[in-house]
Amino acid sequence: MTFNRLAILRAFPVLALLSLAAQAAPSPLLQSPPEQSFDQIMQQAESARAANRVSEAIVLYRQAVQLRPSWSDGWMWLGDLLYEQDRFPEAQDSFAHFLAITPAPGPAWAMKALCEFEMRDYSHSLEDFETWMHGGNQGNEALTDVAEFHMALLLTRERYFDRALSLLTERAHRSGETLLLVEAMGLASLQMPNLPGDYPPGLREQVWLAGKAMFYLSKQEFERAQTYSHRLQVDYGQQPQVHYINGLLLKAQSKSDQASQEFQTELQISPRNSQAMLELATIDIDKGKLQEAMSLSQQAVQIDSANPETHRVLARALQAGGQTKASAQELESAGKLAPENAAIHFQLATAYQRLGRKQDAQREMSTYLAMKKKRPAQDGSVKMQDASPSLEAPQ
Amino acid sequence: MIALIASAFFMAAASLPPQQASPSSPTTSVAQAAGDFDQLAQAAKRAREEDRDDSAIDSYRQALILKPGWDEGLWYLGALLYEKQNYFEACTFLRRFLAQNPSNGYGWAMLGLSEFESHEYTRALDHLQQSMLAGLGDNKKMRSTVTYVIAILLNRSEQFDESMDLLMARVASGEDTSTLVEPLGLAALRLPFLPAEIPADDKEMIRIAGNAVLALEEQHYAEADKLFDQLEATYPDQPGVHFLIGVHLLDSRPEDGIKELKREIEISPSHVTARIRLADQYIKQQNVDLGLQYAQEALKLAPGSASGHMVLGEGLIAKGDSARGILELETARKASPDMVRIHWDLERAYTAAGRVADADREKGEIERLSQQEQAH
Repeated sequence: MTFNRLAILRAFPVLALLSLAAQAAPSPLLQSPPEQSFDQIMQQAESARAANRVSEAIVLYRQAVQLRPSWSDGWMWLGDLLYEQDRFPEAQDSFAHFLAITPAPGPAWAMKALCEFEMRDYSHSLEDFETWMHGGNQGNEALTDVAEFHMALLLTRERYFDRALSLLTERAHRSGETLLLVEAMGLASLQMPNLPGDYPPGLREQVWLAGKAMFYLSKQEFERAQTYSHRLQVDYGQQPQVHYINGLLLKAQSKSDQASQEFQTELQISPRNSQAMLELATIDIDKGKLQEAMSLSQQAVQIDSANPETHRVLARALQAGGQTKASAQELESAGKLAPENAAIHFQLATAYQRLGRKQDAQREMSTYLAMKKKRPAQDGSVKMQDASPSLEAPQ
Repeated sequence: MIALIASAFFMAAASLPPQQASPSSPTTSVAQAAGDFDQLAQAAKRAREEDRDDSAIDSYRQALILKPGWDEGLWYLGALLYEKQNYFEACTFLRRFLAQNPSNGYGWAMLGLSEFESHEYTRALDHLQQSMLAGLGDNKKMRSTVTYVIAILLNRSEQFDESMDLLMARVASGEDTSTLVEPLGLAALRLPFLPAEIPADDKEMIRIAGNAVLALEEQHYAEADKLFDQLEATYPDQPGVHFLIGVHLLDSRPEDGIKELKREIEISPSHVTARIRLADQYIKQQNVDLGLQYAQEALKLAPGSASGHMVLGEGLIAKGDSARGILELETARKASPDMVRIHWDLERAYTAAGRVADADREKGEIERLSQQEQAH
């Protein structure tokens, strides 16, 4: 769950430079006499940190920020060192001080959120992760990886299952299989608002099987995914989400008739499953059954209007039916709900282009390109429903 | 379990040498503060010794506000919170204790056990393993508890063979085996659950599998055979059952073992380990081509599998392609540097290829791993 210190140092290049500059400083004493100046203590702190004398560095940084509470770098390093020692409440406090001085978007928001996660202050943690994400999820790869994973856990806990699965799927693409990732994917795909390990023990097998199926599905290892999905159906075939997961697996293999059947079975078991409605709607769009698609996606919007995917799929159905203006309106709703979703900006650009709204189209395309440049992998978050080539963002 | 852990812990706590207050507070601290601290520390100690836990916890908390780095306070507060089953908060203080005492095996054990109770399984496994590396001295109860929890956590993280090794070591040491039946059954059937997470419908199957493995280990072969037969008759279509029976039969009735492993692959089409065992068996029987086919199938399913690369390497060498065989073995070594069989394979392959220095290095590794195993 923790990540290494070097990785964090790389997240803050300016501070890393400071640390290099301080390497020549004399070795400090644990207790600095009160008459020592801020500059002296700061240098000693930097030296201790550079020499990996972590406990000593913590004491010195504490003294330095007490002498000069406006020293933002000091708070950041103090937080970093405390986090490294798993001292999360103290680290959180340091990052909070840093952000009080330097509230601009940056990796400190993610660090603070991670501390809050560990302190089980989940609502503030998610809030800070959202701030970090909306500020452009800055930080190096290691920080982004850990932060997005924890954010996904919290999104699941708050029932934002789609967004959670998008983040987890990206992680599955980037990294290999881990116990926590499989468990997290299992929880999100079964729509269980729990954290890994924190659910009734009797549900463990179901979570594990669903997680395995989703993990291998995201890696496009269909044979392995099918093994677990099959076991899930045999043992838990009457439980919600089980046929939905199998439907996803079949759809990913272009077996749309079988997938359609699975989504329909899912709707018999859980009639208000908006995800299954959306999947069915996209299959219907592809088959030209636009009335059915429209009806299903409108139902999904009614059930889960806070989910950007419902608006996005309805937009596709409307677009396919030639209702470009209404389609653009739905995409605008989706964009408000998920501003970080690059694909929506691309789709909006396309819709505006069709409506002759050139300036709006240009703006959306610029936003899309900027997001894509920053995070090329982000298009991996495009949902299963996005099969339409006319609306799909280019890879 | 809780009582066992707590008692083991307090034995450890009692053995911790009392330490003076940390000198890390600023010299500007006034004498009054020092006096307050001493009073609080004494009150905490008295309350703890008189089993007034809540009062002791309060005093330790206040004392630690005055001297945040006070080792003894951090330790006992962590212990008392653990005892009160406030595992989450116990973790906070134990982490602070360990930041100052990173080589304290008991500390890592207590932290790992607290994390286990808090359902932070990944972190718990890391820290319990750290406790074994740091050492737990002569405290047999603590060692036994820690080993058990590591074994069930290894199983939960799908490290079935490692879990089985630890459990078997406990069986061999003559410990009471009644608590080991379910963990053994889970590891044998390769089901990544804690004993508490076993689905009600699977309990009996896991119990039979565990007892069968236990009977085998205790060399009660007739009883083991009876249990394996019962398992197969009662659960013919359950994933894992034919793999377990197949592996059991490979030594005594290899053809039957092969049939069972193939049956397992029919039930669990992506079963990697069944393919590796089949590859291994076919290579042993000099049916190298078939062995290579299964090894390649296994690696197609799990490209990072160390055992898969190892068996493929062995097959290629048996077929006379030592250059590619060595490459596969080297890939296996990279994936799993502590697997002794890979080093033996490489030592022989390097020697045959005249790469004396490389062969010597492998010998050194074999020796190191063997010493490491003895130390544990």
